[in-house]
Amino acid sequence: MTKTLVSAKDLRKNYGSLIAVDGISFEIQEGECFGFLGPNGAGKTTTVKMIHCVSPVTSGTLIVNGLPAHINNRALKKMTGIIPQEITLDVDLTVYENLIIFAKFFDIPKREAKKRIAELLHFVELEAKRNSKISELSTGMKRRLLVARALLNHPKLIVADEPTTGLDPQARHLIWQRLRQLKSEGVTLILTTQYMEEAQQLCDRIVVMHQGKILKEGVPSKLVAEQIGREVVEVRVPKEEDERIVGQLTEFSCGHERVGDTLYFYCRDGQGLMKKLVELDLHNYLTRPATLEDVFLKLTGRSLIE
Amino acid sequence: MNLSYRIYYIFLRNLYSYKRFVVPTFLVSLVEPLFYLVTFGIGMGAYIGYFGGKPYLYFLVPGVLVSSVMMTSSFECLYGTFVKMIHEKLYDSLIATPVSAEDAVAGDIAWGAFRGLISGTLMMTVAMVMGVLPASVLSAALLLALMVLVGVMFASLAMIVTSFSPSFDFFNYYTELIITPMLFFSGVFFPLDKFPPWMKTLSEFMPLTHAVKISRAVYSGTLSSGLIWSLLVIVVLEAIAFTIGLKSMKRRLIK
Ligand SMILES: Nc1ncnc2c1ncn2[C@@H]1O[C@H](COP(=O)(O)OP(=O)(O)O)[C@@H](O)[C@H]1O
Ligand SMILES: [Mg+2]
Repeated sequence: MTKTLVSAKDLRKNYGSLIAVDGISFEIQEGECFGFLGPNGAGKTTTVKMIHCVSPVTSGTLIVNGLPAHINNRALKKMTGIIPQEITLDVDLTVYENLIIFAKFFDIPKREAKKRIAELLHFVELEAKRNSKISELSTGMKRRLLVARALLNHPKLIVADEPTTGLDPQARHLIWQRLRQLKSEGVTLILTTQYMEEAQQLCDRIVVMHQGKILKEGVPSKLVAEQIGREVVEVRVPKEEDERIVGQLTEFSCGHERVGDTLYFYCRDGQGLMKKLVELDLHNYLTRPATLEDVFLKLTGRSLIE
Repeated sequence: MNLSYRIYYIFLRNLYSYKRFVVPTFLVSLVEPLFYLVTFGIGMGAYIGYFGGKPYLYFLVPGVLVSSVMMTSSFECLYGTFVKMIHEKLYDSLIATPVSAEDAVAGDIAWGAFRGLISGTLMMTVAMVMGVLPASVLSAALLLALMVLVGVMFASLAMIVTSFSPSFDFFNYYTELIITPMLFFSGVFFPLDKFPPWMKTLSEFMPLTHAVKISRAVYSGTLSSGLIWSLLVIVVLEAIAFTIGLKSMKRRLIK
């Protein structure tokens, strides 16, 4: 039996005259990893801020753990762990002090807090930095400390807002491992990301957000299969050739799209198409598995999003 | 308003961070009173001589005491809070915990008042070493209580300014146009009797004037019923400033 942990209906958020979240509805089940995927400014942060009760809802309903999300809802804040998009560590304090003070905010008794901090510093591999100042940490270390901080209160729900933005691959993989480990322990995870790979690595279900709206919802692999197919073939040919090439490839029933200098084919069977391309004497092509990135770009448009 | 015991946690957080600055701030808090007391007290005192039967320092000390509380509490909740809010984004992480925005702001006001109390106490200690003693132990205790009251008032007023300040520079308006003039219009350095009536009226509107009146009376142990009015002004203004400070900071913190 799965239980709904977060349920949003026609959720809206305006900042003055700017519509940041434009009437979205979704449900998040207990124990799953739910991803908000979208470009900068899509409204991901605004949405999760409403979920974890630091930003008031403009209209619509938002229920978390059976309670309406509200900025004064201390009970919800107590059961939630936040890994914020911006690094909001206390730069006046050391690593250890950051954690011990945060534990206080959650009314965790000192003895328990000390034990928990030792465990968590181990969990995020920061034991050696226990007494360092925040300014002495690398970005990856800071992000790991944010993870540790978010776990102090044994949260039932973790909200991770672009937790790996700006990290090198090693640091990113470490964070992914830790998040997966938490999920396996039964924690519900809400993730926002601009990285398709991250969503594919971690999420059971995702929504693609764009300009405050949800464009698509689903399981990452199925979304790719439904929207794109199995493979993508990219052909670099001048635009004028499109009609001729597409005309000769009708038998393969591939979707196609022209963006800039490239003609994209979305196929179930890329092999046959490739053979045909060689026959047509077109050698400047590339074939690769379809990814969430293709879904994302197809839904939001391949043009540059500012 | 959503206030709770968690105010104390914010106070504690500030205490943790303060550990690193104790020595420099104590030095500043010691040098400042020495500067006032030595230059004004001794330099000017030499010209003025006796003042209501006592050396000028006895007139000066109680006024400078509450002024230093005003300065320290104000600056803490202007610059200190602004840095924490804008540069360090500390409040963003606080309000995501069970600590409410009101708790966080009230905790900073309490901290500002505490810093004021430290300054005032250091100043009183210096004065006592220079032989300017409060009338009794009770007087000294009452002075400490007064410092807390004055500290919370100016910390709250500063919080209001911080809540709508776009940048550091904006604080100059407040310190130059409000705080500094108050030092000269509130009877800290000289009595107000010789002021023309309009200036006297103006000074009645300055909270520092009332704080100085009470401080001076308590220091010399000459309490009178007229002080109740001054106390009332301070308490009422404090309650209003505290409420507005919390509300307007909350508006800035929660978007
Ligand atoms: N505090 C705020 N005040 C005004 N506008 C905001 C604020 N926060 C976000 N916005 C705007 O709301 C929109 C959505 O932002 P955000 O939720 O941060 O998107 P994302 O996290 O997907 O990048 C953007 O246009 C952004 O400029
Ligand atoms: Mg964001």
